[in-house]
Amino acid sequence: MTTEGARLLSEIVVRDLTQAWRTRGKPALLALDRVGCRFPAGKVTSIIGPSGCGKTTLLLMIRGLLTPTSGTITFRYAGHDGPVDGLVDGPAASMATVWQGFNLLPWRTVLGNVTLGLELKGTSRKLCHEAARRALAAVDLSGFEDKYPRQLSGGMRQRVGLARALVQDPDVLLLDEPFGALDAQTRLLLQEQLAGLVETTRKTVILVTHSIEEAILLGDRVLVMTARPGRIALELAVTLERPRRMELTHTPAFGEIFDAIYGRLKSEVERSMVLAS
Amino acid sequence: MDGKATTAVPPVELQAPPAAPARSWRAMLLAPELSGWAAVLVVVAAWEAGVRLGKVSPLYLPGPLETGGALYDLFATGHLMADTAVTLTRIFGGFLVAAVTGVGLGIWMGASPRVQAICDIMIAALYPLPKVTLIPLLVIWLGQGELFQLTISWLGAVFPIVINTVLGVRQCDPGLILALRDLNASPRQIQWKLVLPSSIPHLLAGLKLGLGVSIILVVAGEMVAGKSGLGARLYLSGQILQTDQVFAILVLLAIIGIVITKGGDLLDRVGSRWSAD
Repeated sequence: MTTEGARLLSEIVVRDLTQAWRTRGKPALLALDRVGCRFPAGKVTSIIGPSGCGKTTLLLMIRGLLTPTSGTITFRYAGHDGPVDGLVDGPAASMATVWQGFNLLPWRTVLGNVTLGLELKGTSRKLCHEAARRALAAVDLSGFEDKYPRQLSGGMRQRVGLARALVQDPDVLLLDEPFGALDAQTRLLLQEQLAGLVETTRKTVILVTHSIEEAILLGDRVLVMTARPGRIALELAVTLERPRRMELTHTPAFGEIFDAIYGRLKSEVERSMVLAS
Repeated sequence: MDGKATTAVPPVELQAPPAAPARSWRAMLLAPELSGWAAVLVVVAAWEAGVRLGKVSPLYLPGPLETGGALYDLFATGHLMADTAVTLTRIFGGFLVAAVTGVGLGIWMGASPRVQAICDIMIAALYPLPKVTLIPLLVIWLGQGELFQLTISWLGAVFPIVINTVLGVRQCDPGLILALRDLNASPRQIQWKLVLPSSIPHLLAGLKLGLGVSIILVVAGEMVAGKSGLGARLYLSGQILQTDQVFAILVLLAIIGIVITKGGDLLDRVGSRWSAD
């Protein structure tokens, strides 16, 4: 569903995006340096890079939660006379984010957390609850509506985070290291579950991750970023068939893509370690 | 080794746990949850014994039994009930006004750096100032009536409430603010749905502290300038050497203190549960 009429997102284009943090008395710290990339609609694009390379910064700017120092982000729509640019005051697509730290409100129940976005829009209580229950069912959390986040495991909390995003039915789903805070087994399980959800909804997804497997398993495309200041070092298409299961990670085709990403990432991580020391 | 382990822990014993042992009087008195009251009992007993054995004049130190008697007489004939009501009304009247104004100002300060800057220095100047030093000035301005009493009560409570509310508002998790902005919450919605509820534990702590200071100041105000209330009655009894009545009123104030402090502890517990992650 698009927010206004039949406007259909076709792609998000990022051009020359730069973020520099200025602190008094110090040279500006360049987080992102003229990043250019595109995110086709209906596809999953994974972004991977060494720690501190500005992946999350890029995601926040696309979401409109952080103003870039320079550069543009354009949301292009099909079915219009021309592309509509939307960085500062143009129309942005409807988006929802899943956060690494879950960011659930501790005093609200699971249901209350999922309905929050709709409540803020002024949706009626009944519709809020119906939609939230459907979203919770989609992430296998039916029956946990009245629990509080503190009563849930990390994996369940992140499924609440996912339901909170899905219930908004956004054009674009932004995932900021969504499984970074989870243990390895939970992570595997949720990756598969998310892969399934992504395949059925065909949403535009931007996934920021530290895990090469995750980037490949979920992504239609993978962007590898350089160490700070972040740039796009490598862009590759993942043509592996869907649905994708964990077993895919043992196939030669997967291994080839893995090696290509790892080769590039390794040198960047080494570079970022030199920079840090 | 296996055999030894099973004999050491016979399953029969596990299935039939021994009935709760009947606790002796001594054990009950020493139980942590009751030892506070037990200590009070010991002190009171020592007090009575000391007064009797030492043949202390009741003019200097009446025993607990005599104090209890005086307290009974004061309630029965001396209209102490009316004085208690007057004092409690002053405490809670000023406190309620302080709760509304203090929480309101605290939220405003937390939300606006300008308001914060305006109020900060004034609060820093007035907060550490012992409020009893303001009593002479307040009497000159407001007289010795109820307006004076409510003002002194308000003055005592408002600073801890403002300071703790600001603290609570400031400590709002930035990740949660991002999450709400991601859900398209307006700044006003962020205040009401996030900042205010997340400040509740600090806010309750501030209310608890404020109420404590209110009690002190109202009684002090009554002693210096009141014609009614427990403080005035206490002062009057001292003036005419009715030591047993002085003690009776002190005991009553202590009981009120216990009730209010325990109520405050309850608020703290509610607060910590509210935001438990």
